[in-house]
Amino acid sequence: MSVSTAPPAVSTQRPGVLARMRGTEVRNLGLVAVLAVLIVIGAVTSENFLTTDNLENILVSSSVIGVVTIGMTFVIIGGGIDLSVGAIVALASVWATTLATQSYGPWMMALCAILVGAGAGLANGLLIAYGRLVPFIVTLAMMVSARGLAARLADNRTQLVNEQGIKDLAKTDVLGIPLMVIILAVVAALGWILLNRTTFGRRTFAIGGNTEAARLAGIDTRLNTALLYVLSGTCCGIAAVMLLARTTTGSSTHGNLYELDAIAAVIIGGTLLSGGRGTLIGSILGVLVFITISNIFILNNLATETQNIAKGLIIVGAVLLQRRANRDTT
Amino acid sequence: MDDGVLLRMRGIVKQFPGVRALDGVDLDVAAGQVHCLLGQNGAGKSTLIRVLAGAHRPDEGSLSWEGEDVSFSSPSSAIQRGIATIYQELDLVPGLSVADNLYLGHEKATAGFVHRSAQGAAAAAVLKKLGHSEIPVSREVGRLSAAQQQIVSLARALARDAKLIVMDEPSAVLAHDEVDNLFRVIRGLIAENVAVVYISHRLEEIRQIGDMVTVLKDGRTVATGLPAKSTPTPELVSLMTGRNVEYLFPPRTSDPFSSDAPLLQVEGLALKGAFEGVDLVVRPGEIVGLAGLVGAGRSEVLETIYGARRRTTGTVRMEGRELPAGSVRAAVKAGMGLAPEERKSQALLLGEPVARNVTLASLSRMTKTVPGWLDRRREKITAQEATAGLEVRPADVTRAVKTLSGGNQQKVVLARWLLGSTKLLLLDEPTRGVDVGARSEIYALVRRLADDGMGVLLVSSEVPEVLGLADRVLVMREGQVVHTGPADELDEHRVLDLVMEGIAR
Amino acid sequence: MDGFTLDRRRLLAGSGLLGAAGLLAACTSNEPDEPESTGASQVANTGSGNDEPGQEVVIGFSAPAADHGWIGAITTKAEEEAAKYEDVDFQAVEGSNDVNQQISQVETLISRNVNVLVILPFDGNALTEVGIKAMEAGIQVINLDRVFSSARGYRTYIGGDNYGMGAAAGYYLAQQLTEKGVKDPVIGEVQGIADLPLTQDRSKGFEEALATAGFKVSNKVSAQFTVESGQQVTSNLLQAAPKLDALWNHDDDQGLGVLAAIEQAGRDEFIMVGGAGSRNMMDLIKADSGVMKATVTYPPSMAASAVKLARLVGQSKGMADLVELGVPASITLTSETITKENVDQYLSLGFES
Repeated sequence: MSVSTAPPAVSTQRPGVLARMRGTEVRNLGLVAVLAVLIVIGAVTSENFLTTDNLENILVSSSVIGVVTIGMTFVIIGGGIDLSVGAIVALASVWATTLATQSYGPWMMALCAILVGAGAGLANGLLIAYGRLVPFIVTLAMMVSARGLAARLADNRTQLVNEQGIKDLAKTDVLGIPLMVIILAVVAALGWILLNRTTFGRRTFAIGGNTEAARLAGIDTRLNTALLYVLSGTCCGIAAVMLLARTTTGSSTHGNLYELDAIAAVIIGGTLLSGGRGTLIGSILGVLVFITISNIFILNNLATETQNIAKGLIIVGAVLLQRRANRDTT
Repeated sequence: MDDGVLLRMRGIVKQFPGVRALDGVDLDVAAGQVHCLLGQNGAGKSTLIRVLAGAHRPDEGSLSWEGEDVSFSSPSSAIQRGIATIYQELDLVPGLSVADNLYLGHEKATAGFVHRSAQGAAAAAVLKKLGHSEIPVSREVGRLSAAQQQIVSLARALARDAKLIVMDEPSAVLAHDEVDNLFRVIRGLIAENVAVVYISHRLEEIRQIGDMVTVLKDGRTVATGLPAKSTPTPELVSLMTGRNVEYLFPPRTSDPFSSDAPLLQVEGLALKGAFEGVDLVVRPGEIVGLAGLVGAGRSEVLETIYGARRRTTGTVRMEGRELPAGSVRAAVKAGMGLAPEERKSQALLLGEPVARNVTLASLSRMTKTVPGWLDRRREKITAQEATAGLEVRPADVTRAVKTLSGGNQQKVVLARWLLGSTKLLLLDEPTRGVDVGARSEIYALVRRLADDGMGVLLVSSEVPEVLGLADRVLVMREGQVVHTGPADELDEHRVLDLVMEGIAR
Repeated sequence: MDGFTLDRRRLLAGSGLLGAAGLLAACTSNEPDEPESTGASQVANTGSGNDEPGQEVVIGFSAPAADHGWIGAITTKAEEEAAKYEDVDFQAVEGSNDVNQQISQVETLISRNVNVLVILPFDGNALTEVGIKAMEAGIQVINLDRVFSSARGYRTYIGGDNYGMGAAAGYYLAQQLTEKGVKDPVIGEVQGIADLPLTQDRSKGFEEALATAGFKVSNKVSAQFTVESGQQVTSNLLQAAPKLDALWNHDDDQGLGVLAAIEQAGRDEFIMVGGAGSRNMMDLIKADSGVMKATVTYPPSMAASAVKLARLVGQSKGMADLVELGVPASITLTSETITKENVDQYLSLGFES
């Protein structure tokens, strides 16, 4: 029963576009459709929606959480979870805006934020990969303690960014495109290459899909896992720099609930929460969907509570859809 | 069959992606009887039990219960009819008390409030009936011994007034005298006209407690209604292992007495609780087989050599260089490759395309000039060549592995190791779940690899496979090597004698 | 890869990390601070004799976690005020945003037998019972800002006026817009956390004051009292209203984000009023270089007053300027409007957000 009697597929014959797409990409199409519907709703309900300014505003608003979500996508595809992203953003933003750091100038502030993010990620990664602790617990602990440390460093104050160089990031356009959006695009492009074109990315899929198989194939699963969290932390550091520019402050209240927003975007983007399958493009579409919803609600002067209900429904709907897609392919 | 039949299964088929786990099983169980199920690992016993318990729905076939056609949509519907199953992995809740476990799902309660004392008294009565009134009903199950947990499982079946109790290898976790006690309990059940389906690898137990025997092989019933006490052991063994198709084993080409420098040299290898004192040598171009019953420690030996388990003592040398304990990476670097027993959970990324599965262990060689940057064209071409060489069908490397048959999945795993600089292939049950036609292909393939200079260490619970394919054979029993010698000096019955000595008596 | 390159790389990575750690450690310091603006309250009531040292009073203090500027200022102002009196033993407990924990903390203070308690409850309703418990144990309670649901829970209430704050902002904007002769103005409002009663009171006051001039709020968004949320919602609000005439932001802490969003959008066609009265906002009002024209106070200096009241209550004294012998049962502060004209008077009361 094993071997079909049909002649084996000839490799020169290219299958159709849809047939070549894998489940996640088809789901991405669904998300594009959701986004299209949202855009239509936005355009119909508010005359201010389809303006260049507003579309730019949506992209800029997506940029900070978008960068965090890219790191989160890697972690989740690799079979983990990172609850500490919001707290790491807060810690990096505070550390980069202490007066001592600011005295070194804007480049050092940016470097500081990124190093703090990477360092916190490294701590997560070492405890999870080499300390064999559960990611949920480790990153939960990091979430609590990083925010605590941030509050302590800032002495519960909001720290103003004095460096014009950092503040200007939020107001700079390159070829008419806001720098914030360009940063997101660059991080996303680098992330996409790392995930889909390198051995690291391939191993990440393998570890998330079947850790035991990856280990028995001789892959250094622990090093790879640790690096995933460093990557996520680094993304948080970059996001913190962007947030410094956007808010012109560093604060322990920054990045509030980013972990939930990022995880939600990753999941509605078609990445399996159990790991092994997912796309970055889906995650970014997920972020855009959420941000667009908020935008439409505010443009129409609707209350925040309803907006949260809508977000919740979308998460549940997306996961139900994901389950069906899974069943179809099993 | 007579009219006392409680359960009748006819032509049960259960298909999983890539495997036909049950391929037409017939089974009749009468009230007041102990019906034994015999079969090798992978013969379909566990799947059959799950169908019976309502955990799997059969794809084909009919099931009648007390003369009435039924279909169980869920475990609870089977339980309501009076079928209780005691799984190999006990399904008790460790954090709940004995009494709570006994009545889990059918608590003695009013409006959601549990009558704790009534339930405790009832639980104590059931345990007393089983002769185990020493187990305190209020104790947390997690704090009981394995044997006591087994009794609690049994008590739970009784508490549900089961008419049929299915026991999957109940003796596996029990000491000798505890088994006797279990048998006493089973006899008591039989006297009350309860039916028991009993699964065990141990022939002596089947002789002691069984009434009828059904033998399963490759998902089919090969014999049913055999008297448990009087059917001769050789007949049972050949029913379990014998096959309708004679496999074609490729001719041996290597010299079993070669004095070539060994590729793999294992000395005094031991893993606590699994095996000890294992010495073995594999030379280039040689196939060495490990035979033995399940639980004899064969797979553990393989996994320990590979570093997937950390050895307690002993040395493992590849080409004279000692390997560190518990490091798969070092083993792979030294040129080992493992095709594990549980292909799906231990080797394959089922949802990923064939190509990605093939290149998994040699990704670092699939790169362009920039380290870590994948050359996807080369990856695809390499995978295509490797799979074409093994005649993996269909020949499309972009297909998800889970759509392939068992034999082709196994070839994908083999192709993975052929890409690298593998010198020693460790094969654990290489034809498990592989259909008959594809087996000969795999045998020929393994032999061809050996002819090309690769060393092979083979583990199989199918004795003819070991004897037919290997050049030299090590026979293991209860964690020790009991015989080593050239394969052509052994036959199936001699091996079975060796492995069952002291078991089949 | 061979061992050499591997080791070398490790070494490099290792030294890089060490260097980074050194740099990061150097960056935690907030020391070279600008000269600390003392921010001490300068309530001038010397000469009454009330400030003369008297019988020692042990004052217990409990407030929510100081996770944003205003609450932070409450705590420091209370501490600073207490430090001025030799006869005050000030015992503050760690702030908490968990009512349950705050209740236990107050209970601890009760069992420590303090003389007077100053409580700023996270939620007034939830802390009422423990307030009553303290009063029944003979400990006088000064209920700060968020009022208990029963007057049995406190000896004296002192707090801000949320409705009055909204009203002050509304009247100020109505007057400014009327003066400019704007017809049908587009007015935006950035709330704090929408479901808090205090937010609803503020919005109600704002709407009702605007209504006196026939105006109404056209666009309303709610933030979370944090800079980031202020920035986020305001950037969307500005899209919803391509042209604004006026904007009221409830909270100066989140105001930093609101202003960042306004600056990034390059908007300056409207006037903006803040809320609470932070030092940052006062500086901006004084500079008068942007949209920020005024802020309506909700002064954290009330904490200093509460400590003063606690001391008076503890020493059984009254307020010198009043005829009555005892401290009144309830004091509600007015919300004052700070503009360029009077900002100098208030600078010292501004809190660091």
